[in-house]
Amino acid sequence: MTPRRIRIAVDIGGTFTDLEFLDEASGKTHSFKTATTPDDPSLGLMNAIHGAASRFGFALPDVSLLMHGTTIATNTVLTRNLPEGALITTAGFEDVLEIGRHARSEIYRLKSEPRAALVPRRRRFGVVERIGPVGEVLTELDAASVDDAIDKVAASSASVCAIALLNGFTNPAHEIAIRDRLRQRLPDIAVSCSHEVSPEIREFERTSTTVLNALLIPVVRRYIDALLERIASEGLSAPLYLVQSNGGATTPRAASEAPVKLLLSGPSGGVLAAEGVARLLGFANVVGVDMGGTSYDVAVIRDGVRTVVTQGDVDGLPVRVPMVDMRTIGAGGGSIASLDTSGRLQVGPRSAGAKPGPVCYGRGGTEPTVTDVNLILGRLDPVTFLGGTFALDLDGARAALDRRIAEPLGLDRDRAASGILAVVVAKLAGAIKLSLFERGLDPRDFALMSFGGAGGLHAVEVAEELGMTTVIFPKDPSTFSAHGILQSDVVHDLARTKVLPLKPGASPALRDLAAELLREGEALLAADGLSGGRCRLDLAADLRYRGQAFELLVPLGTAPDDDAQLEALCQRFHELHRQRFSFDDPSETVELVTLRLAAIGMLGGMAATSAPTPGPSTPLLDRAVHLNGGWTSAPVHQQDSLAAGTRIRGPAIIEQAYTTLLIPAGWSLDVAESGDLIAMRELGA
Amino acid sequence: MSKVDPVLLEIVSHALVSAAEEMSITVWRTSRSTTVRELLDYSTAVFDGNGRNVAQAARMPVHLNSMELCLQEIITHHLPLERWHEGDVVVTNDPYSGGQHLPDFLAFKPVFVDGRRIAITCVLIHHVDVGGGAAGGYNAHAVEIFQEGLRLPPVKIVRRGEMMDDLFATILQNVREPETFRGDFLSQVAALEVGARAIRALAGRYGVETLSEVGAALLDHSEHAMRVALTALPDGVYAAEDFVDGDGMDEGQKRIAVTLTISGDSIAIDFAGSSPQARGPINATMATTKSAVYYAVIAASGIEATANSGCYRPITVTAPQGSLVNAGFPAPVSMRMLTGHRIATAVLKAFAEAVPNRIPASYYGVTFNHAVNIRHADGRRQVYFDAEIGGWGGHPEADGPSGLSAGFHNGQNTPIEMIEAIFPLRFERYAFLPDSGGAGRMRGGLGLVREWRFMAEHGLLNASFDAFLSRPYGLSGGEPGRGGRLSVIRGAEVTELKAKTIGFPLRSGDIVRMETPGGGGHGDPAARDPAAILADRADGYVS
Repeated sequence: MTPRRIRIAVDIGGTFTDLEFLDEASGKTHSFKTATTPDDPSLGLMNAIHGAASRFGFALPDVSLLMHGTTIATNTVLTRNLPEGALITTAGFEDVLEIGRHARSEIYRLKSEPRAALVPRRRRFGVVERIGPVGEVLTELDAASVDDAIDKVAASSASVCAIALLNGFTNPAHEIAIRDRLRQRLPDIAVSCSHEVSPEIREFERTSTTVLNALLIPVVRRYIDALLERIASEGLSAPLYLVQSNGGATTPRAASEAPVKLLLSGPSGGVLAAEGVARLLGFANVVGVDMGGTSYDVAVIRDGVRTVVTQGDVDGLPVRVPMVDMRTIGAGGGSIASLDTSGRLQVGPRSAGAKPGPVCYGRGGTEPTVTDVNLILGRLDPVTFLGGTFALDLDGARAALDRRIAEPLGLDRDRAASGILAVVVAKLAGAIKLSLFERGLDPRDFALMSFGGAGGLHAVEVAEELGMTTVIFPKDPSTFSAHGILQSDVVHDLARTKVLPLKPGASPALRDLAAELLREGEALLAADGLSGGRCRLDLAADLRYRGQAFELLVPLGTAPDDDAQLEALCQRFHELHRQRFSFDDPSETVELVTLRLAAIGMLGGMAATSAPTPGPSTPLLDRAVHLNGGWTSAPVHQQDSLAAGTRIRGPAIIEQAYTTLLIPAGWSLDVAESGDLIAMRELGA
Repeated sequence: MSKVDPVLLEIVSHALVSAAEEMSITVWRTSRSTTVRELLDYSTAVFDGNGRNVAQAARMPVHLNSMELCLQEIITHHLPLERWHEGDVVVTNDPYSGGQHLPDFLAFKPVFVDGRRIAITCVLIHHVDVGGGAAGGYNAHAVEIFQEGLRLPPVKIVRRGEMMDDLFATILQNVREPETFRGDFLSQVAALEVGARAIRALAGRYGVETLSEVGAALLDHSEHAMRVALTALPDGVYAAEDFVDGDGMDEGQKRIAVTLTISGDSIAIDFAGSSPQARGPINATMATTKSAVYYAVIAASGIEATANSGCYRPITVTAPQGSLVNAGFPAPVSMRMLTGHRIATAVLKAFAEAVPNRIPASYYGVTFNHAVNIRHADGRRQVYFDAEIGGWGGHPEADGPSGLSAGFHNGQNTPIEMIEAIFPLRFERYAFLPDSGGAGRMRGGLGLVREWRFMAEHGLLNASFDAFLSRPYGLSGGEPGRGGRLSVIRGAEVTELKAKTIGFPLRSGDIVRMETPGGGGHGDPAARDPAAILADRADGYVS
């Protein structure tokens, strides 16, 4: 009898540790949930694996692959719980990290927000050297100044050190020499170099990204080491992969070296899952939205593929590494409704968070939130909310809404409540619209996919607002990220920045650059034990019109062989520019800024999942709900009792574990073969 | 106040700001010059059908608070609204038609639905060169506006959708960087249509009437918020003054005198006693002056409401004709920004009398605009334009930040790597300037030092600086910040340049060094927290 092969994905969230696994023989997936153990998350991870093993009958040696999405890096940044670090940079530029780009976001504010640099001035050390814009050495690296800087690092309290030199991305020689010397003299100090972490032009952004990477190394390394140790001690021999911000998986060693690439590890699981569900259901263009208690994340999947950018920010810090392109706004179930001094209604960005939480939680909240309003309008059930874990205070929510919003505005309670929801829906729709606008895309060409705890109540209304006609609700949103992680492939992102005008005769230079990247990518995959048919090498080029500051990413089958192919590439850029910005300029020179390679090692993907067997049908209850400006009675369905092929016409309420979906009149809901739910606007509605 | 549905008001208001944001994204991503794409020297806004500002994308207060004045000037004196047709784009850079200085081109586009004009979109871009006596537009020797560059009255550059190629060619013929100008200008025109498209969609969704009512209500609400904020301030008459170094020609500092009268829910600001109009190009037109005042009043009042022209209604601004702050044709104005900054700091200083717990000491006081007209050995020419800033003043509750954009300006710096990839400059230093922040219980932020070596064969350096002598003031016993400085180092020889410099010849190997001012301190330096003093020493902010 051949051993079973079980592939496991684990997503560790703040409250729950979610596991999903694929039984390779049967092609079936199953999920399992357990409590997160914040003091040592690896304990919760093993609890989940043991729990699933005993529940679904497999043994630890059957596990062939373990994939993991983690919020460790993100939480460390959000709490700024970072170690003390040092920075070695080109002498004369020690303050670049603190000066930043020196614009402000709140233009009328007279008292500035405190701006603490990631590394204070006392631990930023200059070395004598200088590299020019095309990689030429203008001043040789002065060895004495390097030793002097290393002495200062040694004498400081720093446990990590970043090395980021001016123009260091054009020629890494000096950064490498400093790193080698530092490692030789101070082997215990963790080091990051800018040419490795973020080889991109713009010194502040690259330096800041590199510093952040260095500061994350001790925390993430400790986390990963603990995890590996725990796994080994429990007799699990399967290789571990971690999901990065770009949605690709990487080895524990690579993740420990480049922890800044894990900052969107958690959310990228959701995006991967959305990508998978979209593919399974045959939707090429999908906007994935994740609405939680405080935030709303928007990600775009186009032609079946998630979009990845390198110009992102995390908590106000520039992060110039490939990440799933995600727009986040402060709007969620906990968003507070209030009136400003001019008497205008505001919803968010202030949030009641988990504590005190909405008024209806009865934990001391006094300002009405989106969740309170949903309760008042009958969209949430005070008894079954969050699995009925605690009773909700409907009267308290009503009183708060009346006192703070309805009475001052002279509106009746229902009008005030539905008005607050209308403002929220407009905000959510606005965030989606801007996300698509930045890419020159039209919402009407997209389906919406909603998978957050608070999103199901608003998704259809958001779609209506944007003229979208389809909304997808994945069958199991509560373990959605784990589901996505299971579909991750190994991805190495490589890049070479070289400003190169794409004029006739430029193709040999481009081809050489591509060959260099391809060699490197193949070597990295070979080191992962992946080769041949399991590898894919995707080239792409960041192109722009000469003089522009931003590039458009243009996929490249192979590097152009001749002038005709080069011209065809430029044509693709003109088209893309016209599509995204409504004009192009064919007479202008197109230039290459960065050539990129995604070296992908396919881990086998996912077999089609089978529909869950519906549970016993429960008697239908009706609930009074306020919809489209009036109260109406809507049937309440339990999702786990809906069989594939079922069609439900709105108005209707669907209760999933931990979430509620609202289907207004004019929409109908189909249960797909896979068990996912697809809401469509009815023709003529 | 108007009775528009409060929910609709919020929804449409968000959508209008989104339209301005979409325009802003378009300019940012498609423009060519480092001035626009890295410094972000541009702004976008939406006006109602009668030219009242209803929505802004948060960028430069100096632009945003003057756009409506310009538009009103155009429709009152140059191109009445009935002559604006669908598909037109109206453009001007003329300070004497409501503009501020020649590099700033304001472009407007009317938005029509069913033949009715329902909105106007606006994009203002600071273009890298406009011809005239100095590359980059800052001609320190100008004594009349004709020496400052190409002056375009309000004209239609696009008529009913058709680009006026001959007019455009004429403009391009008169500027030093025609290709860059062209790219930035096309981006400007494209962004106008992006905004127009968003507004047409909005009108289709909510109806033209609703859009117009919401626009009016937005202005009313912001006016109301401003009146509430002003009512909370103590009534009284508060006077203050601040200074500009000079106009680069005549000796002596120039005075900006301000008297602020807060009375109930309104405020009057008068500039009687300010210096007469200067011979050199530091004059401000009323557009600049009002824009600086509006910035200062909105900031000092601390209102949370949306900034739009409703905020201006309770504010009256008067200034003597022919003065530094209300210059008359044909006075030169290219360096109006440095006077504008001091108008803002003078008004804030007067507010400090009224609400001392809310107002910081003076920030660096001037944007350090500079440009180099470059000639390479092979005859190729380039214009490098850049701007630097300094430290903020100490606030009653916090130290001033070092090296951060302040006041009615808001720009990013240009990455050194980006400059070096494009221009023949090699940077030697970009750093905080220790000891430049004014001492105080709350220290002023540090100014910056920026040093680069010139590598081409020949260059002419132009600078529009100030605050070398007129240092940023301290408050409540705090010391002033250190003043600015500009020098050129050639071998062992150091040449100190004037704050207003034009055409200083640069040779290959010369080092240009600029030091920007630190902010003033707030409160008695002796009362500073000893821990803060120690931390300042450890980080070398104070030697």
